[in-house]
Amino acid sequence: MPWYLYLACKQLFPSGRFPFFTAISVLGVTLGVAVLIIVTSVMGGFGYEIRRMIVETEGEVDVKATGYLSDPQDVLAQISATPGVAAATPYVKGVVGVQANSRPAYPIFRGVDVGTIERVANLARFTNPPSAIANLDDDSVVVSSQLATSLGVHVGDKIEIYSPLLIEKLKNDEVFLPREFRVVGELYIGHQQLDSSTIYGTLRAAQELYGLGRSVHGIYVRVKPDVDEHAVVARLNTTLPRATTQAYSWMESWADFLWVLNLEKSINFFLLLFIVIIAAFSVMSSLLISVVRKTREIGLLGALGARPRDVALCFCAQAFIIGLTGTAIGVGMGFGVLAIRNDLVHGIARLMQRQETLRQFYQFSDLPSHTLTGDLVMTVVASIVISTLAGLIPAWRAARLKPVEALRSE
Amino acid sequence: MSEVVLAARGIRKSYQSGGLRIEVLRGVDIALGAGESVSIRGESGSGKSTLLNLLAGLDTPDGGNLAWGGEPANANRRATFLGIVFQSFYLIPEIDALANVLMAARMVKAPGAAERARAQDLIARVGLAERATHLPTQLSGGERQRVAVARALMNAPKLLLADEPTGNLDEYTGDAVVELLLELCRETQTALVLVTHNAAYAAKTGRQLFLRDGVLNGSNSVDVSAR
Repeated sequence: MPWYLYLACKQLFPSGRFPFFTAISVLGVTLGVAVLIIVTSVMGGFGYEIRRMIVETEGEVDVKATGYLSDPQDVLAQISATPGVAAATPYVKGVVGVQANSRPAYPIFRGVDVGTIERVANLARFTNPPSAIANLDDDSVVVSSQLATSLGVHVGDKIEIYSPLLIEKLKNDEVFLPREFRVVGELYIGHQQLDSSTIYGTLRAAQELYGLGRSVHGIYVRVKPDVDEHAVVARLNTTLPRATTQAYSWMESWADFLWVLNLEKSINFFLLLFIVIIAAFSVMSSLLISVVRKTREIGLLGALGARPRDVALCFCAQAFIIGLTGTAIGVGMGFGVLAIRNDLVHGIARLMQRQETLRQFYQFSDLPSHTLTGDLVMTVVASIVISTLAGLIPAWRAARLKPVEALRSE
Repeated sequence: MSEVVLAARGIRKSYQSGGLRIEVLRGVDIALGAGESVSIRGESGSGKSTLLNLLAGLDTPDGGNLAWGGEPANANRRATFLGIVFQSFYLIPEIDALANVLMAARMVKAPGAAERARAQDLIARVGLAERATHLPTQLSGGERQRVAVARALMNAPKLLLADEPTGNLDEYTGDAVVELLLELCRETQTALVLVTHNAAYAAKTGRQLFLRDGVLNGSNSVDVSAR
C-alpha cells in the first residue's frame, strides 16, 4: 500500500479512539446517499407498478380500432402470426352506468373473451376468488374492490348496469331497461384508479351493452419474453390495416403519465444530490482544518522525502475513503428503510388517522419500490466523485506547503 | 579521505524582513566523508537551522552548490540518502513507534518483511523494544526523540542531519540521545552533522565548526577546493 493511502487510513481511523470527525463527515454522505436511494427507488417503483399493472391486466401491446373492429377474427389471426407475439385477446371497453342499493356509479366496463384473456392478462392474481374471471358468464360480473364498497355490494349481490345506448333509445321514446348482473368476484389491483372504477364481464355482455354485434373495440397482445414490445408494435403497424387499427405499446398508451413520472424522478434526483454536495462541503471543511492542524506533519513528510503530489494524494485519498464509506453505509441504510417503508408510511397514516386519505390521493395502497441498476450506479458514482472532489482544495493547499516553512509553523 | 558524502560550496541565503534584506549565510563551505561527524554551533539567530535546512535540500540557497555523494542534491534522493532528526521530534501521532520508524521506509516502497525486521531491530537498538506499539502520546520526550533517531536511520542513509536534537530534553535525557546518535552513526558509518548549542556535545564530534557572521569557522575546517 502506498504511504499516502496508509497514512490517510490511519488519520481517518486512528487506533485507540473514536474517529469523531470522520464519523461526522461520513454521516453527511450517508444521509445524502440513503435519501437518494429511497426517493429514486420509490419513484422507480411507481413506474414499475404502473408497468406491472398495465401489462398484467392488458398485455404489453394494445391494438386499438378506429371506432370498432367488425372482423376481429381476421385481425386476431394476423396478430397471432406476427413474430414476437405470444397471445392476443379481443376486448370491448367503455363507460357504463351502474346502480346498486340506490347508489349510482359510472365505471369502465371491460368485456373480455373468457377463453383467451388469461393468455394475455394475469387477472386471476387480482380477483377474489381467483377463478372469478374464468367462471364469468353473460349474466355475471367482477367488480373492483373500492367500487363494490361504494355501491355496498358483495359477492352474490346483484347490480343494474345501464347501457350507453340508453340515451339513443330515449331519443326515440323507447324504454331501455337496465340489465341485471350477478357479482361473482371482486378485483383488487392496488391502483386507486382501477380499483374504484372497473367492472369485468364477458365479451358478449359488453358487445350487447354497446350494441356492437360481433365487433370489438380492440385487441390486447402479450409479447413473448425477452422480445422488445416496440419492435412488435412496429411490425403490427406494418401488417395490420392502418385505416381501421393502430397498435400502441403500453408506454405509448401511458406516455404522458410516464413522462411526468420520469421528470419528477429526475428533478428529485438533482435536488437531493444537493444533500451530497452539502455533505461534500463539510468534508472539504474538515480536511482544510486537518491541513492547518497538520502543517508541521506535512513538513515532516516532505523532510522524509514525500513528493508534493503524494502529499496531495493523501488528502484526496481521505476524501475518497469518506465518500466510499459514506456511500456504502448510505446504500445499506437506504435499502434498510425501503424494506420497512410500508410499515413506516402506514404507521404514520394510522397515527394521524389518514389511512383513507393516503389510499385516495396516492395511486397505490402500498408505497412501491423498484431500484433500477442505472439509478443505483448513478447515485453511487456521483456520491463518491463529489466527495473525492471535495478533497481537491485541501490537497492543493497541502501540496503547496514548503517543508521548511511548514516545519517552522506554529 | 573516504568517500565524500556531503559537499557544500559557497552557500548563500538571505531573507526579506520588513524593508530589510538580511543575509544569513554568506558563502558557507562544508564537506563530510563517510562516517565523519561534525558539529555546528553558533549564537541564536546565526543561521544554524537555516544551514541545516539547506544541506537537507528542504530550502533553496540563493547561491552556491550542494552535492550529496558527488551528485547534485535532489529532493527525489532525500528519502534514501539522508535522515533528519529535528528538535521537536515530529512523530506522526496516529501511528505507533514502530510504524513511525517504518514511515521512512514507506517513502521508498511498501515495507516488506526485511524492512519490518530492520525497524524492529532499530527500535530495540534505541532501547524501546517494549514500547514499539505505543503511540507517541504515550512516550516521554526522550523516548520520542529516540524513535526519531531510529526513523532517521531506517533507510541506512549516508548522511544524518540533527538539528538541536536535545533542545526539548532535559540534560540527562539529552546526554543519552546524543550518545546514542553518535554510537549508531559510528556503527553504520553514517556521516553526521550535529547542530547544537551545547559545547560538551559538540566536543564529542570529530570536528567542531562555528557559524558566525554568515560563514563557518572552526578547527580542522575542510578545504573543499581539494575535493
